[in-house]
Amino acid sequence: MLKPVIVLAGSLIATGAAAQTEIVGTVDSKCIIISETSGVYGNPSPNLLTTDPTNGGVKPIIRYDVISADYYKAKISYPITFSSAPSLDDVVNWEGGVTVSEVSDSLMSDYDTNKITYNNATEYDLTIAGSTWFTVASEADYGYAKSLPAGSYNAVVEAECIPL
Amino acid sequence: MYTSLRITLFFLIVLSSGHLFAHELTPTYIKLKQSYVENVLTTRVNLWNGRADVLYYKLNVYNEKWEEVSFFSLPGDVVKVDYTERMKLDVFIGAPEAANAVYVCTRSQILKGLKQKTVISSKICSKIIK
Repeated sequence: MLKPVIVLAGSLIATGAAAQTEIVGTVDSKCIIISETSGVYGNPSPNLLTTDPTNGGVKPIIRYDVISADYYKAKISYPITFSSAPSLDDVVNWEGGVTVSEVSDSLMSDYDTNKITYNNATEYDLTIAGSTWFTVASEADYGYAKSLPAGSYNAVVEAECIPL
Repeated sequence: MYTSLRITLFFLIVLSSGHLFAHELTPTYIKLKQSYVENVLTTRVNLWNGRADVLYYKLNVYNEKWEEVSFFSLPGDVVKVDYTERMKLDVFIGAPEAANAVYVCTRSQILKGLKQKTVISSKICSKIIK
């Protein structure tokens, strides 16, 4: 009786239990949008909110990373409404623009030359793999030299990555 | 060789970056296949939330003119994805609507009352290939 028990116990001790855990990953084309800087509106005059750094503002910066070239286009829209604001009884005039501020590949230098702009949106064909930094300018001018009511103003920059 | 070195360096930079506010949707191109329900097609996309400032994403399906196409998704069309978490989203589209569906997109949802002055809303799409 004791011998089978000893043999069984010995086999259990002698056998090295092994387990394998897999790490799986794939590399495929993809687009990653990274919000690097959220942006702040400066208020240099009572009727004006602006992201211009010379007027106390901070321009939002968005980075696009694409793994493969010619798979995506970037579409960035500057704000044309406040997402939240005090009650306003006059028109707000919006201006803005999108520019390429930094690139990881010098071949991307043509992006600003070839961009398409319409309404408040700017489109770039991401023809080179790598990272591209886009800076967004935004300005809101209230009425005709009218003072903006006191309160918190928020606006949203829309960054889209669309497959071609 | 130079191109592959560049891509490798790019990967190293991306992977070694610290705190990222990133949003990712894969794969780029998706195919619809028959689901377990008659006349309903399905596909799957993978969402990764690298944005510490965003917890919710809204899924939408669009046609070529960027008009919304009706669909159903699991676990829902507005999903909560914690920072650095991934989520698989199953999209179900009726066969008649599937003929027009072109893009499956996820857009970050920004909470009301957020204190930042300007916020970036990110939207990434996958394209349906027929």
